[in-house]
Amino acid sequence: MSAAGEAQSLLRTASRATGWTGLGLVAVAVFLADFLARAPAGATGIGRMLEAPSEAHLFGTDLLGRDVLSETLHGLSETAIHAFVGAMIAILVGSLFGAVAGRFPRPLAAVLRSLFGVFASVPALFLTILAIGLTARFYAPIMAGLAAAPLAFVRAFDRVDTGSTHAEYAKATGIAATTLLRRDLTYEFRGNFAAAAARALAAVAIILSTASFLGFGAEPPARDLGLMIAAAKTSYLAAWWTAAFPALALLVLVLCARLAAGLEEGERP
Amino acid sequence: MLEFAARQAVRLAVGLVGAVLVAALISAIAEPHAHGLSPYLTAAARRLLSFARLDFGRSAITGLPAFGEIARRAPSTLLTVAAGGCVALAVGLPLGLLFSIEAIRRAASPLMQIVTALPVFCAGLALAYGAFRLLHWPVSVNTPVNGPLAPDQAFRFAALPVLTVGLAGAAAVQLALRRAASQSSGESFRVGLRRLGLGAFEIERAYVVPQVIAGLVSSAGEIVLALLSATVVAEWVFHLPGAADLFVKSVALNDWNMTAIVLFLFAALAFVADFFGRVAGFVLANEASG
Repeated sequence: MSAAGEAQSLLRTASRATGWTGLGLVAVAVFLADFLARAPAGATGIGRMLEAPSEAHLFGTDLLGRDVLSETLHGLSETAIHAFVGAMIAILVGSLFGAVAGRFPRPLAAVLRSLFGVFASVPALFLTILAIGLTARFYAPIMAGLAAAPLAFVRAFDRVDTGSTHAEYAKATGIAATTLLRRDLTYEFRGNFAAAAARALAAVAIILSTASFLGFGAEPPARDLGLMIAAAKTSYLAAWWTAAFPALALLVLVLCARLAAGLEEGERP
Repeated sequence: MLEFAARQAVRLAVGLVGAVLVAALISAIAEPHAHGLSPYLTAAARRLLSFARLDFGRSAITGLPAFGEIARRAPSTLLTVAAGGCVALAVGLPLGLLFSIEAIRRAASPLMQIVTALPVFCAGLALAYGAFRLLHWPVSVNTPVNGPLAPDQAFRFAALPVLTVGLAGAAAVQLALRRAASQSSGESFRVGLRRLGLGAFEIERAYVVPQVIAGLVSSAGEIVLALLSATVVAEWVFHLPGAADLFVKSVALNDWNMTAIVLFLFAALAFVADFFGRVAGFVLANEASG
């Protein structure tokens, strides 16, 4: 390998390691949120109204005197857990089903590819909002996962479909379709599952928090990061900390997931 | 060429038919007595026939024809998307070219990763904060803008959403350009052309640049999708009364006729952009390779 190639590979490994370390730290913060936070979720009057960051309140307080650090920890916890649930659904319905559908008989596979292709061409945010509107905000994580699934399906389907010449040879040598499928899925997910999960986590975290920001996500009194930022819209021009810290927490979550997935700069998760 | 165009046309047709079916299924929710699978599907079929007569029903909120509502709101959204697209090209093209040089890309990678990980609504709010604090611009994040505005005021109010949409699109543009550049850098024709005596600049100008442009044009669908998604958020953040804002409000208020037509409009835009991008990209790539 050339020196430039080696440097690139090293950079990619370092960037993935940074992403996974960051996600690990986020997971720790999520598990210890109740312990690390100085106040329970949604507790008002902890400090004065819109107090700037200080030693008493490291991230300041919001309009209702809530401690922004505690709220950010609770919000991060809510967002990360919901995004994880959504990511698992996106992987099951999208990546896994896409890889299986790539091995279906031709006409059925083509119909499924077209169907998912139609949904993959509509912004996932639209699908999420629509699905939540048709059901209830309680189902937001599931709906965000389902909205992220079509793109994951198309990617997995195309990957399996384009590399399908070996299936013809396998058929000719008498290998059963189920055995081939099992081997294909093992090959597809053995080295890739973690990266696919991180990619789905990044996608769902963005979709969920944006839906929440638009009023279609977490239901008060539960607050995720998107809802916190939406609530801070009225005060953040005078008190930047009310929106900046929740936004920073969201950025860290998405950034770590993107790095862990090995996405390029600007690549759609 | 014709075979490729025909395949893409079939793809476009399948996409549009799928979008119409989804719109009919959504619109049918608004029909009274559409409870149970059979009545619901009958209602959806009725809606399909109405769509064929260009009757898209009435808005449940205003009582006005849904088509009229969308015709009133869509121009503002399309303008935002178009202006955002120009910003995306103006920012994304130089960035993409710059980042196709590996050393520069490696140096800028951490910053680019951070910038592109920022959700669009956070970027919009950050831009509004910067404009308010540093430039002392009036911003519309908390109150909608009403009434006629002087040209300079109108520019200030329009600039932030356009910039938000444009920056979201710029990420997609630079990625498409960088991928196309990296693909063409590995092409074997470079060595052959060198042996024929062509200089590096001539090879880049005459062969590589058209290939890179073809790659960028082929990604039009992906870029338009990024611009449309960002427009929804930008219209909400900056209180712009466009079609995307109408979609959010329609879903919130269960105005399914309106929801259906806006969803169809956005899906159709994405499909059409994808079709023309792929065909134009194919033509350009063919011409470049002679």
